[in-house]
Amino acid sequence: MHDSADLESRGVPTVFIATEPFVDSAEAQARALGVEPLGVFVPHPIQDRTNDEVRGIADEAVAKIVNGLTTGGISFSRN
Amino acid sequence: MTSEQRVVLDPTSEQKPKSIPRAPRLASLEKRTIGLLDISKPKGNVFLDRVEQELRALGATVERFQKPTFAKLAPVDLRHEIATRCDAVVEALAD
Amino acid sequence: MSPSTSLPSGLVAFVKRDCPTCELVVPVLQQISAKASLTVYTQDDPTFPPGIPAVDDTALEQSWHHQIETVPTLIRVEGGEERERVLGWQREEWEALTGIPALGDGLPALRPGCGSLSVDPSREAELSVRFGGSKLHARRVELAALEDEMEAMYTRGWSDGLPVVPPTEKRVLEMLEGTTRAPDDVIATVPPDLVACTVEKVAINAVMAGCKPEYLLVVLAAVEAACTDRFNMHGVIATTMGVGPIIVVNGPIRRAIGMNSGMNVLGQGNRANATIGRALQLVVRNVGGGRPGEVDRATYGNPGKLGFCFAEDEESSPWGPLSADLGAEPGTSTVTVFAGEGPRNVIDQRSREPMSLARSLAATLRTVQHPKLAIGFDAMLVIGPEHARVLKEAGWSKEQLIERLTELLTMPGEEMMRGVDEMAEGMPESFRSQPVTKFRPGGLLVVHCGGSAGLFSAILGGWASGPKGSQPAVQEIRP
Repeated sequence: MHDSADLESRGVPTVFIATEPFVDSAEAQARALGVEPLGVFVPHPIQDRTNDEVRGIADEAVAKIVNGLTTGGISFSRN
Repeated sequence: MTSEQRVVLDPTSEQKPKSIPRAPRLASLEKRTIGLLDISKPKGNVFLDRVEQELRALGATVERFQKPTFAKLAPVDLRHEIATRCDAVVEALAD
Repeated sequence: MSPSTSLPSGLVAFVKRDCPTCELVVPVLQQISAKASLTVYTQDDPTFPPGIPAVDDTALEQSWHHQIETVPTLIRVEGGEERERVLGWQREEWEALTGIPALGDGLPALRPGCGSLSVDPSREAELSVRFGGSKLHARRVELAALEDEMEAMYTRGWSDGLPVVPPTEKRVLEMLEGTTRAPDDVIATVPPDLVACTVEKVAINAVMAGCKPEYLLVVLAAVEAACTDRFNMHGVIATTMGVGPIIVVNGPIRRAIGMNSGMNVLGQGNRANATIGRALQLVVRNVGGGRPGEVDRATYGNPGKLGFCFAEDEESSPWGPLSADLGAEPGTSTVTVFAGEGPRNVIDQRSREPMSLARSLAATLRTVQHPKLAIGFDAMLVIGPEHARVLKEAGWSKEQLIERLTELLTMPGEEMMRGVDEMAEGMPESFRSQPVTKFRPGGLLVVHCGGSAGLFSAILGGWASGPKGSQPAVQEIRP
């Protein structure tokens, strides 16, 4: 979150990826910092999954990542 | 401050939340350099390897960066390096 | 009073082990508890007093709420209300209060008590935050667990570029000790957002600036002065010129808070000079919303916009204080706020005659903002002690100095015209056929300060005068 905020302030569009349970904490931190970095949320957990499962999750996330870097349409989406 | 005293008083007028505006988005990813910042969480690299593959397929150049540990903020020189070399950044994976 | 802080009915004693008088009266407390209902609160060690069950008040909540200043204190409580109390050991008073005769046989008739821990200066601020924090109305901001507190100030945009002191409740309460005014008193409407600014908000920014509580009164006065219509702080913020509010302090408060009026007076090093000016600018930034790149459009600004505050050297001045020139009572503590830029040095190491010195000063003053522009800009002339001595020995009053400078700074209109000397800038045609004086009447202020070695004076160029500009504002410093 801090890295995203810092890079945004340097003019670099940024998206951070976090798992679902992070949504509330990310919103709170963003509010606290007064920034609006974009978050893409993926299902939790990650570390317990197989590599194939993780790749599947990455596949689903890519569209949102691209959307977040090119159009700025997403904000704390839970989808 | 001690861990109890992490409260400060707001010095502002408290009139409206001051938001730091987002950087402008890219028109498209083609021929752009996208930085992938791995914050060193387990399986983060697997996730980002896949993202890298997909972004290349969309015509972007991808650069990989790694943060020393997941608990700390990226060091200043790393952020500077990322900012000067990349047009956009994906930071992953907090869990 | 909340149920948790009301005292039980009967007799109540506050003690601490670390107190010879409390030790002395242990047998008396035992006597009382055998005959009546007695509750003992102990401030440091709940196993004291021996032989009587005591209530642990090491958190000092009861002591603080019931304003215990001395231990032992004995209180009679009826119907949840305190009826009377005795401080220290006094046999007659204790017997009268308790209704129990022959207390403390063999003990001296009186022994004064010791200081209560709840009024210990090193703990008072912490306790008042914990138990009395309702005095403060500002939003509480909780920092995220991994946030560095210094970085947190930057991330939220509260800093002027230099680190600021995180304004914890404790620090702000201590700062508020510097005034008798209530924290929620509104003292000014701060531009550009025209925000009603309370004493509390000033205190928060004063903490951030690094002020000590004894500087707060000066900061409050500076905020009041800067936010007057006459000073036009909005204009001072919004201009493309590089001016900021310069604070000049007069009167006894200078010495009381240790301000600098001597060597390096316009520079760094003195905490009061450095932080008072800074606190005003932080109020403008944080409360008023005046920030560079937003309403603040200065092309260059100047380093003084971090903060610019100094004390006049009245003691060795041949003249009266600056404040008196602007209508204040000499001898009172005041701030004068002047819209000005950074200092220019004027060297004159050779003038022994006052007119020669005046010509040096005038020639340099001529160039404030531009040599061929006049009337529109004010200036402050800072006379150094060595230069002042030349003028004093010649018997010149401040008024005479200003009169001579005004004469020397009066030029024929033709010299000042646009295009003259192949400089496009200058005065418009309408001024051609009249003498043009550099500064409007009252537009040149004179103040005395500086190191005692150095045949220099300094010039602080001002901003626009007139209805759209700024005029210096004086404010008395009040408790």
